[in-house]
Amino acid sequence: MYEYEGEDVFVIDSHLHLWDATEENIVHEGGEQFIQCFYDYHTAFTPEEKQWSLEEYRKYGADRMKEDLFGSAAVDMGIFQPTYLTDFYDEGFNTTEDNAELAEEYPERFVLNGTFDPRDGEEGLAYLEELNDKYDLQGVKLYTAEWRGESKGWRLDSEESFRFLEKCAELGIRNIHPHKGPTIRPLNRDAFDVADVDDAATSFPELNFVVEHVGLPRLDDFCWIAAQEPNVYGGLAVAAPMAVHRPRKFGEIMGELLFWLGEDRLLFGSDYALWNPDWLVDVVMNAELTEEQRDEYGVELDLETKKKIMGENAAELYDIDIEAKKEQFKSDDVTEEFGLADHYAGSSAAPADD
Amino acid sequence: MSTDSFDPDEGVTETQVRERLDRVTDPELDTSIVELEYIDAVRIDGGEVRVAMTLPTAWCSPAFAWMMTTDARDEVESLPGVERARIELREHMHEAEITRGVNERLSFGEAFPDADGSVDPVRAELDEKARIARQHDATGALLDAGLDGDQIVTLTREDVTVEDGRAHVWCRAGGLAVVVEADPLERYLEKARATGRLDDDHPELFRTPEGDPIDPAQFETVRHRTRLAGVNMSGQGSVCDALHESRRAEDRPPLSMRSD
Repeated sequence: MYEYEGEDVFVIDSHLHLWDATEENIVHEGGEQFIQCFYDYHTAFTPEEKQWSLEEYRKYGADRMKEDLFGSAAVDMGIFQPTYLTDFYDEGFNTTEDNAELAEEYPERFVLNGTFDPRDGEEGLAYLEELNDKYDLQGVKLYTAEWRGESKGWRLDSEESFRFLEKCAELGIRNIHPHKGPTIRPLNRDAFDVADVDDAATSFPELNFVVEHVGLPRLDDFCWIAAQEPNVYGGLAVAAPMAVHRPRKFGEIMGELLFWLGEDRLLFGSDYALWNPDWLVDVVMNAELTEEQRDEYGVELDLETKKKIMGENAAELYDIDIEAKKEQFKSDDVTEEFGLADHYAGSSAAPADD
Repeated sequence: MSTDSFDPDEGVTETQVRERLDRVTDPELDTSIVELEYIDAVRIDGGEVRVAMTLPTAWCSPAFAWMMTTDARDEVESLPGVERARIELREHMHEAEITRGVNERLSFGEAFPDADGSVDPVRAELDEKARIARQHDATGALLDAGLDGDQIVTLTREDVTVEDGRAHVWCRAGGLAVVVEADPLERYLEKARATGRLDDDHPELFRTPEGDPIDPAQFETVRHRTRLAGVNMSGQGSVCDALHESRRAEDRPPLSMRSD
């Protein structure tokens, strides 16, 4: 748990990957460009002394990941968000199966999300069911701009996609995380456009749509949709690290998000290994709005708000009982391994019934 | 001597070229490509001008890269004394297609046979976003000058005249005129023109993001939405800016030379 001014803040990192971008795994130039682009993001926003080399960044493995998340006690729990990209990477970039390596070893610490691609048709529906049977999914990460043969993406509001969303609703997979980020290929801007979230969110009120990267660079479209759709949430991966070198801009973006969505619909995510939560949690917890921003937006980014964003909102979506988890983490495997017993010892768990 | 004047004996100067390139904006950020430091080099060889540029990331949308490089070519070629502009896009995933397409004057569809359509709708959408963000600055200037929302929503194109860097705004609803700095209004008018908002069926100067006249009861909401458009642009600008710095760092690994 992160300690802030004497108070415990339970951190659920809602955006994690265990990826492999080694040269052996790359089958298409797009795969190399993809990891290089990620690395640009990494170095652009990571404090210099915390930056990785490109080689370690390509594949860091489960042990390093565990150390980075829990060794510094920055994170209490994490949610895996797979990104397959099988046209770019031989074995996939970051599949559910890859992520399961850690999630199955420490089920109390991780939530494992699956995925679907409506272009896979019947086979895709079967794969989604198979993933659900195996891992009891509560969420899916969707990459609408993923290449598949001739296709350069798909829409969340398409008929094919709706079949998969119906299947999610039927299987009890409630949390849908569409990635909406920077544009990549000619005129496939639509593939990352957030407009398709609108109809999907209206059509499936029983599902929650967590738009990753808060739609950047379409924050305006995203906020306007979210203002009208109560089941639309914002994942802060990519927005969060702005707090390092561009704190004023971070404040403005948070001001807008809090103004349009409110404090109950924002989820912290490091996007690991794009950024490492050990420093990022610290930076976000210490971020403040300027007085001018507080006046302009009429919102607060105080400790209560931050506690919601850092963990409580994700806990709500994923049915995580934070107090029970704190109790459990006093002696689980991760706590043993990283010597975190003292860290959790002082947590104020609910008094026992007996 | 003004840097804008052309001396046939001297030829065009680098300053003139850069001033002209300053008119080209990154369409997503609505900021000049010169200000954003995308221009690596300008070389003048008689009537031929060569411009080399690098965008913040190799993944920058090819459609955006196309707009900037073709705009740069057209702006430079509009200078007296320039017979031909050659643009070189560096370190981009599609540098070869774009550099060739721009210099051989191909259409976007010819340069990118697998693209789904023309670049025009993308440009129109970004122009519209720029208009919305600029509207925030323009209406902000009018609010500062003492007009209220009810008055601002009724303003028409004819109510604004620009002279010597000042804009005179006639507000019929209140029977008064205000004088404000021209820049935010001129910038707004430029994009309102580019998006066709000054030529449509409505006389109103300011619009909702959807392009409709503003219901006075919605003025505040529209103000908030226009603020959001600006924050989005400058937020994306911060990301591009950070990527730009990062890829220019001395110790950055080179881009892959892999070939499929």
